[in-house]
Amino acid sequence: MSTNSIKLLTGNSHPELANLVADRLGIELTKIMVLQYSNQETSVTIGESVRDEDVFILQSTKPDDINDGLMELLIMINACKTASARRITAVIPNFPYARQDKKDKSRAPITAKLMANMLQTAGCNHVITMDLHASQIQGFFNVPVDNLYAEPSMLKYIRENLDVSNCVIVSPDAGGAKRPRTNLGVSVSATAIADRLDLQFALIHKERARPNEVSRMVLVGNVKDKVAIIVDDMADTCGTLAKAAETVMQHGATEVNAIVVHGILSGKAIENLNGSCLKRIIVSNTVPLGDKIERCDKIKTIDISPTLAEACRRTHNGESVSFLFSHTVG
Amino acid sequence: MRGVQIFSGNSHPRLAETICERLGTVPAKANLGKFANGETSVNIDTSVRNQDVYIIQSGSEKINDSVMELLIMISACKGGSAKSITAVMPYFPYSRQSKKKSHRGAITARMLANLLTIAGVDHVITMDLHASQMQGFFGKPVDNLFAEPFIARWIRMNVAGWKDAVVVSKNAGGTKRVTSLADTLKLNFGIVTTDRRRPKVPVATMSDSTVFFDAVDDDSRIAKESQPFELHMHSAHRAPATPPIPEEREPTTPPSERYLLRPETPPAARRLSELEAACEYTDVRVRDVITGRLVQGQLVDDDYRINEESHSGGTTPGAGSSSHDNTDIITDAMANSIISNASSQPPDHALGGSFDAVESDDEASVCGGPTDERTITLVGEVRDRSVFLVDDMIDKSGSWIAAAETVVKRGGASKVYCIATHGLFGENSLDQMEACRSIDHIVVTNTFPISPSMLRRSKKLIVIDVSSLLAESIRRHHYGESVSALFHLND
Repeated sequence: MSTNSIKLLTGNSHPELANLVADRLGIELTKIMVLQYSNQETSVTIGESVRDEDVFILQSTKPDDINDGLMELLIMINACKTASARRITAVIPNFPYARQDKKDKSRAPITAKLMANMLQTAGCNHVITMDLHASQIQGFFNVPVDNLYAEPSMLKYIRENLDVSNCVIVSPDAGGAKRPRTNLGVSVSATAIADRLDLQFALIHKERARPNEVSRMVLVGNVKDKVAIIVDDMADTCGTLAKAAETVMQHGATEVNAIVVHGILSGKAIENLNGSCLKRIIVSNTVPLGDKIERCDKIKTIDISPTLAEACRRTHNGESVSFLFSHTVG
Repeated sequence: MRGVQIFSGNSHPRLAETICERLGTVPAKANLGKFANGETSVNIDTSVRNQDVYIIQSGSEKINDSVMELLIMISACKGGSAKSITAVMPYFPYSRQSKKKSHRGAITARMLANLLTIAGVDHVITMDLHASQMQGFFGKPVDNLFAEPFIARWIRMNVAGWKDAVVVSKNAGGTKRVTSLADTLKLNFGIVTTDRRRPKVPVATMSDSTVFFDAVDDDSRIAKESQPFELHMHSAHRAPATPPIPEEREPTTPPSERYLLRPETPPAARRLSELEAACEYTDVRVRDVITGRLVQGQLVDDDYRINEESHSGGTTPGAGSSSHDNTDIITDAMANSIISNASSQPPDHALGGSFDAVESDDEASVCGGPTDERTITLVGEVRDRSVFLVDDMIDKSGSWIAAAETVVKRGGASKVYCIATHGLFGENSLDQMEACRSIDHIVVTNTFPISPSMLRRSKKLIVIDVSSLLAESIRRHHYGESVSALFHLND
């Protein structure tokens, strides 16, 4: 008799998040051994039966170690598939290569599409992710993709920790403002957050020469004597963020905070943050932060594991997930 | 060559340059790097529209990065409307994970094949796949080239007295590769195999049995039950050193060995062809089976003790009473069933690995816990000859060193050449092999990048260049000529 219960597996990328999700679900993580051979090839062994089970594989990606995390994920999916799992759901809080989603130059690879194909080839039946850089990536898949939002959790954090009446929401990217004003089918939208909190809104127009480089910034809107909250979907080297914060301060804001879903914080991010005029940067725990919180006291975290756990539970039980698009859980 | 673009990945640019040089071209321009967060970035800086694209990528120390880079390059060329895309992978990553080796293990090699196909590859050129069955994992054609002709040529040109040498397989799984090299060179061959199961020694004969029952006392029996394996090992080696008698071999002997060691059948029972074969080849039928003991991957003497507690009598080496020896032997017979059960389900491999996996790749096959003892068996005559120890790749050094020491110290070989196609040299295996006195030379090809510092440091390492083979296969593939001629080298 098969129980068809939830099995949650995780690789080496983000065990903390996996433990939080497992705790929320009230289950134990499935025993699994993920290690590397002496020649750095990844080896996966699943320690208990997954036959006819509903398997969820949670894998985030560590900056600098993305390809290893990715191969781990693919091999885990494949191992479950060959072990006759009933359904395999990849839970990828921060979708890797999401920014390479279009052929913006001649012969540029659409790596996000390649990722989608690879996951499906490995044997993935369902994908749960969070705040995709471009929602169109859902269309790269032929299997269902649930794109969750950190927005409800972010709203909750802002309401609880900041003086909402005196805030202004700033979008650091014209693209972030252009997104539709509904919170369904949207990535992190500064305007949506502004709407929900009933706040004023400003945007920064930037001219980008190359990725991770910003040449010039123009602020549109009024931030004078207000607490500015910069909203974005990911913070990488934070060069843009630091410049945006500076621009906002120059325009008379009293303090500036940033709230970001994926705190990748790679390269010189910590130096950039420590040197910037940002008061704090709030990131979710989709990406493992490691020792970065100790190295930069401006970093605050939001725990999004309840949302992921609830999505897993609802997916397993065949309930609607759309409630999570606008509500926090727990 | 017109209409061809050859790209080089970051893993082995020197090989790509040599190949391009042979084809009279230069690697096409591509900008490979990483984004700040560690994602791989690929820019193809030259037009590939309606061209035949070849992408050369081997493994490297960051093997997953190499794999991703290759996949993204293929995808980029596909998106850039290339006419055909050929992945040239001298070393195929994950080729050792080509079967479900334990419960719920992934067949990663097949998955990688699928990923390559999904990325848009039309053809794959590779060398010495760990298992040639892997060609079946692809929906696309695969050319599996062999380095063997190059190795054979190197041996002919560089080894003095190679005609008297013996080719020895490092493990039973790789015997095919070895026989093929031995055939090419017309040399004798042998096998070294490590066995976690019973050592191959004479079992007690009936004449001893009367003594056994008298000698059994309760104390020794209890001691034996607690440590049946070690005791058995000990007793086995203290048994009189008579040559092994094939008829008394345990049925657990692997089939390949059983074949080699089967008792002489009377001539009438043989097929005619077998008789002819026996006449044609002058090589002596394998009579000598040399066994040695491996403890933690080290070859030890027969009277080496794992720990004193395993000896109930507490006798000193060489001074053991005959009754003590006899009781050891009887427990050996009694513990037989326990041991064979244990070997089919090795307790230290509850997670990962099975006997089958250990047999074919050397992962962890010669290392283990402090009391982990194995038997290493050498089949074949190597005394005073040069030995070519052959396998398809050198990753960890343990099994190579164990095999070399067995061949030299037990077999009496004069020189040992460790020969493999892929020199992966994981961890610091090259240094360890360098330090092993039984190994004289290490011969690999340049399919896998070997860092210049390693090359400089090592005095034993010899690297054979196979770029001409890869270059020729690219040329032939492009012009639609047959590649099969490359499987044999006429010189």
